[in-house]
Amino acid sequence: MVTRAGIDPGRGLGWGTFLSGFVPGLLQFRLGQPNRGLMALVSCTALYFAGWVLVRERLFYWVLLDAGTPAGGGTSVARTLAQFGLPTVLPELLNLPANALGALLSFDGSPTGERASRHLQPSEYLGGFLTGASGMLAAFWSAAGHWELRRRRDGGPTPPVAVVDPALCAALSWLVPGLGHARAGQKDKGLVMGAAVAIVFAMGLLFSHGHACDRATNSVWWMAQNLFGGGSLFAALVTGPMQQEAQAMHMDLGLVLCTVAGLMNLVVMVDAFTVAERTAFPVSTPAEVRS
Amino acid sequence: MPLLFRLAIYAIVLFLIAVVVDGQHHSTAQATLRGAARRWVRWGIWTLVLVVVMETLGIVFIGW
Repeated sequence: MVTRAGIDPGRGLGWGTFLSGFVPGLLQFRLGQPNRGLMALVSCTALYFAGWVLVRERLFYWVLLDAGTPAGGGTSVARTLAQFGLPTVLPELLNLPANALGALLSFDGSPTGERASRHLQPSEYLGGFLTGASGMLAAFWSAAGHWELRRRRDGGPTPPVAVVDPALCAALSWLVPGLGHARAGQKDKGLVMGAAVAIVFAMGLLFSHGHACDRATNSVWWMAQNLFGGGSLFAALVTGPMQQEAQAMHMDLGLVLCTVAGLMNLVVMVDAFTVAERTAFPVSTPAEVRS
Repeated sequence: MPLLFRLAIYAIVLFLIAVVVDGQHHSTAQATLRGAARRWVRWGIWTLVLVVVMETLGIVFIGW
Protein backbone atom coordinates (compact mmCIF):
# COMPACT_ATOMS: atom_id res chain seq x y z
CA MET A 1 0.00 0.00 0.00
CA VAL A 2 1.35 3.43 -0.92
CA THR A 3 0.39 6.99 -0.01
CA ARG A 4 -0.93 9.62 -2.43
CA ALA A 5 2.62 10.77 -2.97
CA GLY A 6 3.58 7.25 -4.06
CA ILE A 7 5.48 6.51 -0.81
CA ASP A 8 5.61 3.00 0.59
CA PRO A 9 5.48 3.30 4.41
CA GLY A 10 6.35 -0.38 4.66
CA ARG A 11 9.88 0.43 3.51
CA GLY A 12 12.03 0.44 6.63
CA LEU A 13 14.71 2.85 7.78
CA GLY A 14 17.47 0.23 8.03
CA TRP A 15 19.08 -1.94 10.70
CA GLY A 16 21.20 0.91 12.10
CA THR A 17 18.10 2.93 12.91
CA PHE A 18 16.31 -0.12 14.31
CA LEU A 19 19.18 -1.00 16.65
CA SER A 20 19.63 2.67 17.67
CA GLY A 21 16.09 2.47 19.04
CA PHE A 22 17.31 0.25 21.90
CA VAL A 23 19.26 3.18 23.40
CA PRO A 24 16.74 5.79 24.59
CA GLY A 25 17.46 9.18 23.05
CA LEU A 26 20.01 8.01 20.48
CA LEU A 27 17.59 8.49 17.57
CA GLN A 28 16.75 12.00 18.83
CA PHE A 29 20.50 12.82 18.99
CA ARG A 30 20.87 11.56 15.41
CA LEU A 31 17.97 13.81 14.43
CA GLY A 32 19.64 16.86 15.93
CA GLN A 33 17.26 17.05 18.92
CA PRO A 34 19.72 16.86 21.87
CA ASN A 35 17.23 18.13 24.44
CA ARG A 36 14.64 15.52 23.51
CA GLY A 37 17.38 12.90 23.42
CA LEU A 38 18.51 13.80 26.91
CA MET A 39 14.91 13.80 28.13
CA ALA A 40 14.40 10.30 26.69
CA LEU A 41 17.56 8.95 28.32
CA VAL A 42 16.86 10.54 31.70
CA SER A 43 13.16 9.58 31.83
CA CYS A 44 13.81 5.92 30.88
CA THR A 45 16.76 5.56 33.24
CA ALA A 46 14.96 7.27 36.14
CA LEU A 47 11.87 5.09 35.70
CA TYR A 48 13.99 1.95 35.55
CA PHE A 49 15.93 2.73 38.72
CA ALA A 50 12.77 3.85 40.55
CA GLY A 51 11.62 0.25 40.09
CA TRP A 52 15.07 -1.33 40.46
CA VAL A 53 15.53 -0.08 44.03
CA LEU A 54 12.39 -2.05 44.93
CA VAL A 55 13.27 -5.31 43.15
CA ARG A 56 17.09 -5.48 42.63
CA GLU A 57 18.21 -9.12 42.13
CA ARG A 58 14.57 -10.24 42.11
CA LEU A 59 14.51 -9.01 38.50
CA PHE A 60 16.50 -12.11 37.55
CA TYR A 61 13.74 -14.36 38.81
CA TRP A 62 11.57 -13.02 35.96
CA VAL A 63 13.95 -13.76 33.08
CA LEU A 64 12.61 -15.59 30.05
CA LEU A 65 15.77 -17.66 29.64
CA ASP A 66 17.30 -18.73 32.92
CA ALA A 67 21.09 -18.51 32.88
CA GLY A 68 21.26 -21.42 35.32
CA THR A 69 24.39 -22.97 36.76
CA PRO A 70 26.45 -24.98 34.25
CA ALA A 71 27.15 -28.64 35.02
CA GLY A 72 30.26 -28.81 37.17
CA GLY A 73 30.04 -25.17 38.21
CA GLY A 74 32.03 -22.34 36.58
CA THR A 75 30.60 -19.79 34.18
CA SER A 76 28.71 -20.27 30.94
CA VAL A 77 28.08 -17.82 28.10
CA ALA A 78 24.51 -17.39 29.37
CA ARG A 79 25.74 -16.45 32.85
CA THR A 80 28.24 -13.98 31.45
CA LEU A 81 25.48 -12.39 29.37
CA ALA A 82 23.21 -12.34 32.44
CA GLN A 83 25.66 -10.03 34.17
CA PHE A 84 24.89 -7.47 31.49
CA GLY A 85 21.12 -7.99 31.64
CA LEU A 86 20.93 -9.84 28.34
CA PRO A 87 18.88 -12.97 29.14
CA THR A 88 15.72 -11.24 27.89
CA VAL A 89 13.97 -9.64 30.82
CA LEU A 90 11.08 -8.24 28.80
CA PRO A 91 10.17 -5.45 28.40
CA GLU A 92 13.18 -4.09 30.34
CA LEU A 93 15.47 -5.22 27.54
CA LEU A 94 14.04 -2.47 25.33
CA ASN A 95 15.75 -0.01 27.71
CA LEU A 96 19.13 -1.57 27.07
CA PRO A 97 21.62 0.73 28.87
CA ALA A 98 19.66 1.03 32.14
CA ASN A 99 18.90 -2.69 32.13
CA ALA A 100 22.57 -3.53 31.59
CA LEU A 101 23.62 -1.18 34.39
CA GLY A 102 20.92 -2.52 36.73
CA ALA A 103 22.06 -6.08 35.97
CA LEU A 104 25.73 -5.25 36.61
CA LEU A 105 24.77 -3.75 39.96
CA SER A 106 22.53 -6.56 41.16
CA PHE A 107 23.39 -9.85 39.40
CA ASP A 108 24.85 -12.38 41.79
CA GLY A 109 25.37 -15.78 40.22
CA SER A 110 26.32 -17.45 43.51
CA PRO A 111 23.89 -19.85 45.25
CA THR A 112 23.23 -17.10 47.82
CA GLY A 113 22.32 -14.66 45.06
CA GLU A 114 20.06 -17.20 43.36
CA ARG A 115 18.29 -17.86 46.66
CA ALA A 116 17.87 -14.11 47.20
CA SER A 117 16.26 -13.73 43.76
CA ARG A 118 13.54 -16.23 44.80
CA HIS A 119 12.49 -14.25 47.87
CA LEU A 120 9.40 -12.08 47.60
CA GLN A 121 10.33 -8.43 48.11
CA PRO A 122 8.03 -5.85 49.67
CA SER A 123 6.63 -3.53 46.97
CA GLU A 124 7.94 -5.79 44.20
CA TYR A 125 4.60 -5.52 42.37
CA LEU A 126 5.11 -1.80 41.91
CA GLY A 127 8.86 -2.19 41.32
CA GLY A 128 8.28 -4.80 38.60
CA PHE A 129 5.75 -2.55 36.93
CA LEU A 130 8.13 0.44 36.98
CA THR A 131 11.10 -1.40 35.48
CA GLY A 132 8.74 -2.83 32.84
CA ALA A 133 7.27 0.61 32.18
CA SER A 134 10.78 1.94 31.54
CA GLY A 135 11.13 -0.61 28.74
CA MET A 136 7.77 0.44 27.28
CA LEU A 137 8.73 4.12 27.57
CA ALA A 138 11.98 3.40 25.72
CA ALA A 139 9.92 1.73 22.97
CA PHE A 140 7.67 4.81 22.68
CA TRP A 141 10.69 7.16 22.50
CA SER A 142 12.09 4.90 19.82
CA ALA A 143 8.76 5.02 17.94
CA ALA A 144 8.85 8.84 18.16
CA GLY A 145 12.35 8.84 16.66
CA HIS A 146 11.33 6.46 13.88
CA TRP A 147 8.30 8.62 13.12
CA GLU A 148 10.42 11.79 12.86
CA LEU A 149 12.94 10.04 10.61
CA ARG A 150 10.19 8.77 8.35
CA ARG A 151 8.51 12.21 8.25
CA ARG A 152 11.76 13.79 7.08
CA ARG A 153 12.51 10.99 4.61
CA ASP A 154 9.08 10.84 2.97
CA GLY A 155 7.77 14.35 3.56
CA GLY A 156 9.78 16.13 0.90
CA PRO A 157 11.08 19.69 1.42
CA THR A 158 8.22 20.59 3.81
CA PRO A 159 7.47 17.48 5.87
CA PRO A 160 3.77 17.20 6.84
CA VAL A 161 2.85 17.44 10.52
CA ALA A 162 0.49 14.93 12.17
CA VAL A 163 -2.32 16.34 14.37
CA VAL A 164 -0.58 14.62 17.28
CA ASP A 165 2.65 12.62 17.61
CA PRO A 166 1.78 8.98 16.70
CA ALA A 167 4.17 7.67 19.37
CA LEU A 168 2.32 9.72 21.99
CA CYS A 169 -0.97 8.19 20.81
CA ALA A 170 0.49 4.70 21.18
CA ALA A 171 1.79 5.56 24.67
CA LEU A 172 -1.58 6.97 25.75
CA SER A 173 -3.31 3.82 24.48
CA TRP A 174 -0.86 1.72 26.48
CA LEU A 175 -2.04 3.39 29.69
CA VAL A 176 -5.72 3.87 28.76
CA PRO A 177 -6.82 1.85 25.73
CA GLY A 178 -8.58 4.12 23.23
CA LEU A 179 -7.16 7.38 24.61
CA GLY A 180 -4.69 7.55 21.72
CA HIS A 181 -7.57 7.31 19.24
CA ALA A 182 -9.44 10.07 21.06
CA ARG A 183 -6.34 12.29 20.89
CA ALA A 184 -5.99 11.57 17.16
CA GLY A 185 -9.61 12.49 16.50
CA GLN A 186 -11.46 9.14 16.63
CA LYS A 187 -13.06 9.46 20.06
CA ASP A 188 -16.02 7.10 19.66
CA LYS A 189 -13.99 4.36 17.98
CA GLY A 190 -11.37 4.67 20.71
CA LEU A 191 -14.07 4.29 23.35
CA VAL A 192 -15.39 1.08 21.79
CA MET A 193 -11.93 -0.46 21.26
CA GLY A 194 -10.78 0.59 24.71
CA ALA A 195 -13.88 -0.84 26.35
CA ALA A 196 -13.30 -4.17 24.58
CA VAL A 197 -9.77 -4.42 26.02
CA ALA A 198 -10.79 -3.30 29.50
CA ILE A 199 -13.74 -5.76 29.68
CA VAL A 200 -11.57 -8.75 28.71
CA PHE A 201 -8.89 -7.72 31.25
CA ALA A 202 -11.49 -7.18 33.98
CA MET A 203 -13.02 -10.60 33.26
CA GLY A 204 -9.53 -12.11 33.60
CA LEU A 205 -8.99 -10.48 36.99
CA LEU A 206 -12.47 -11.48 38.11
CA PHE A 207 -12.07 -15.18 37.26
CA SER A 208 -8.64 -15.33 38.93
CA HIS A 209 -9.71 -13.39 42.04
CA GLY A 210 -7.28 -10.66 40.98
CA HIS A 211 -4.17 -12.85 40.72
CA ALA A 212 -3.87 -13.49 36.98
CA CYS A 213 -1.71 -10.41 36.41
CA ASP A 214 1.09 -11.21 38.85
CA ARG A 215 4.70 -10.97 37.71
CA ALA A 216 5.97 -12.94 40.67
CA THR A 217 4.05 -16.11 39.81
CA ASN A 218 3.27 -15.75 36.09
CA SER A 219 6.22 -13.76 34.73
CA VAL A 220 6.02 -15.09 31.15
CA TRP A 221 2.28 -14.37 30.89
CA TRP A 222 2.89 -10.97 32.46
CA MET A 223 5.08 -9.90 29.52
CA ALA A 224 2.01 -9.93 27.27
CA GLN A 225 -0.40 -8.70 29.99
CA ASN A 226 1.84 -5.66 30.47
CA LEU A 227 0.98 -4.53 26.94
CA PHE A 228 -2.08 -3.07 28.71
CA GLY A 229 -0.13 -0.77 31.01
CA GLY A 230 -3.15 0.69 32.82
CA GLY A 231 -4.39 -2.81 33.63
CA SER A 232 -1.04 -4.09 34.86
CA LEU A 233 -0.60 -0.92 36.95
CA PHE A 234 -4.02 -1.52 38.53
CA ALA A 235 -3.06 -5.13 39.22
CA ALA A 236 0.32 -4.05 40.68
CA LEU A 237 -1.27 -1.53 43.03
CA VAL A 238 -4.59 -3.14 43.95
CA THR A 239 -5.11 -6.83 43.18
CA GLY A 240 -1.50 -8.14 43.19
CA PRO A 241 -0.65 -7.42 46.84
CA MET A 242 -3.99 -8.87 48.05
CA GLN A 243 -3.75 -11.99 50.20
CA GLN A 244 -4.48 -15.21 48.29
CA GLU A 245 -6.39 -17.72 50.44
CA ALA A 246 -6.35 -20.49 47.84
CA GLN A 247 -5.81 -20.84 44.10
CA ALA A 248 -8.83 -19.43 42.23
CA MET A 249 -10.94 -22.12 40.56
CA HIS A 250 -10.72 -20.45 37.14
CA MET A 251 -7.12 -19.22 37.42
CA ASP A 252 -6.16 -20.61 34.01
CA LEU A 253 -9.10 -18.84 32.35
CA GLY A 254 -8.17 -15.59 34.10
CA LEU A 255 -4.55 -15.89 32.97
CA VAL A 256 -5.56 -16.40 29.35
CA LEU A 257 -8.09 -13.54 29.39
CA CYS A 258 -5.64 -11.00 30.89
CA THR A 259 -3.01 -12.07 28.35
CA VAL A 260 -5.49 -11.83 25.46
CA ALA A 261 -6.43 -8.32 26.69
CA GLY A 262 -2.75 -7.33 26.59
CA LEU A 263 -2.38 -8.63 23.05
CA MET A 264 -5.62 -6.88 22.04
CA ASN A 265 -4.17 -3.64 23.38
CA LEU A 266 -1.07 -4.13 21.23
CA VAL A 267 -3.43 -3.97 18.22
CA VAL A 268 -5.11 -0.88 19.70
CA MET A 269 -1.72 0.84 20.22
CA VAL A 270 -0.58 0.09 16.67
CA ASP A 271 -3.91 1.32 15.29
CA ALA A 272 -3.71 4.54 17.35
CA PHE A 273 -0.21 5.12 15.91
CA THR A 274 -1.54 4.49 12.38
CA VAL A 275 -4.57 6.78 12.82
CA ALA A 276 -2.28 9.67 13.87
CA GLU A 277 0.25 8.79 11.17
CA ARG A 278 -2.39 8.97 8.46
CA THR A 279 -3.24 12.55 9.37
CA ALA A 280 0.18 13.40 7.92
CA PHE A 281 0.47 10.68 5.27
CA PRO A 282 -3.07 9.78 4.10
CA VAL A 283 -3.42 6.37 2.48
CA SER A 284 -4.56 6.36 -1.12
CA THR A 285 -7.74 4.57 -2.14
CA PRO A 286 -7.22 1.67 -4.61
CA ALA A 287 -8.63 3.85 -7.42
CA GLU A 288 -6.06 6.58 -6.68
CA VAL A 289 -3.25 4.04 -6.65
CA ARG A 290 -4.34 2.66 -10.07
CA SER A 291 -4.50 6.12 -11.64
CA MET B 1 -17.00 -25.66 34.36
CA PRO B 2 -20.42 -26.11 32.72
CA LEU B 3 -20.33 -26.17 28.92
CA LEU B 4 -22.88 -23.35 28.63
CA PHE B 5 -20.76 -21.08 30.82
CA ARG B 6 -17.65 -21.78 28.74
CA LEU B 7 -19.56 -21.12 25.51
CA ALA B 8 -20.90 -17.82 26.87
CA ILE B 9 -17.39 -16.64 27.82
CA TYR B 10 -16.06 -17.75 24.43
CA ALA B 11 -18.81 -15.90 22.52
CA ILE B 12 -18.34 -12.65 24.50
CA VAL B 13 -14.55 -12.65 24.18
CA LEU B 14 -14.75 -13.57 20.49
CA PHE B 15 -16.98 -10.52 19.87
CA LEU B 16 -14.67 -8.20 21.83
CA ILE B 17 -11.65 -9.44 19.87
CA ALA B 18 -13.63 -8.88 16.65
CA VAL B 19 -14.28 -5.27 17.77
CA VAL B 20 -10.54 -4.62 18.15
CA VAL B 21 -9.63 -6.38 14.90
CA ASP B 22 -12.39 -4.65 12.91
CA GLY B 23 -11.63 -1.27 14.46
CA GLN B 24 -8.46 -1.18 12.35
CA HIS B 25 -10.54 -0.99 9.18
CA HIS B 26 -13.04 1.70 10.22
CA SER B 27 -12.96 5.22 11.58
CA THR B 28 -16.26 5.32 13.52
CA ALA B 29 -17.67 3.27 16.39
CA GLN B 30 -20.87 2.45 14.49
CA ALA B 31 -19.03 1.04 11.48
CA THR B 32 -16.67 -0.84 13.83
CA LEU B 33 -19.53 -2.50 15.73
CA ARG B 34 -21.36 -3.45 12.51
CA GLY B 35 -18.19 -4.89 11.03
CA ALA B 36 -17.41 -6.69 14.29
CA ALA B 37 -20.89 -8.28 14.35
CA ARG B 38 -20.41 -9.64 10.81
CA ARG B 39 -16.91 -10.87 11.66
CA TRP B 40 -18.21 -12.47 14.89
CA VAL B 41 -20.81 -14.49 12.95
CA ARG B 42 -18.15 -15.56 10.41
CA TRP B 43 -15.71 -16.58 13.18
CA GLY B 44 -18.54 -18.41 14.95
CA ILE B 45 -19.21 -20.47 11.82
CA TRP B 46 -15.49 -21.24 11.46
CA THR B 47 -15.42 -22.30 15.12
CA LEU B 48 -18.29 -24.73 14.48
CA VAL B 49 -16.51 -26.11 11.40
CA LEU B 50 -13.29 -26.53 13.41
CA VAL B 51 -15.07 -28.32 16.27
CA VAL B 52 -16.91 -30.64 13.84
CA VAL B 53 -13.65 -31.46 11.97
CA MET B 54 -11.77 -32.13 15.24
CA GLU B 55 -14.57 -34.30 16.61
CA THR B 56 -14.73 -36.23 13.31
CA LEU B 57 -10.96 -36.79 13.38
CA GLY B 58 -11.26 -37.92 16.98
CA ILE B 59 -13.97 -40.43 16.10
CA VAL B 60 -12.04 -41.70 13.03
CA PHE B 61 -8.67 -42.14 14.76
CA ILE B 62 -9.65 -42.81 18.39
CA GLY B 63 -13.16 -44.18 18.13
CA TRP B 64 -16.48 -43.24 19.69
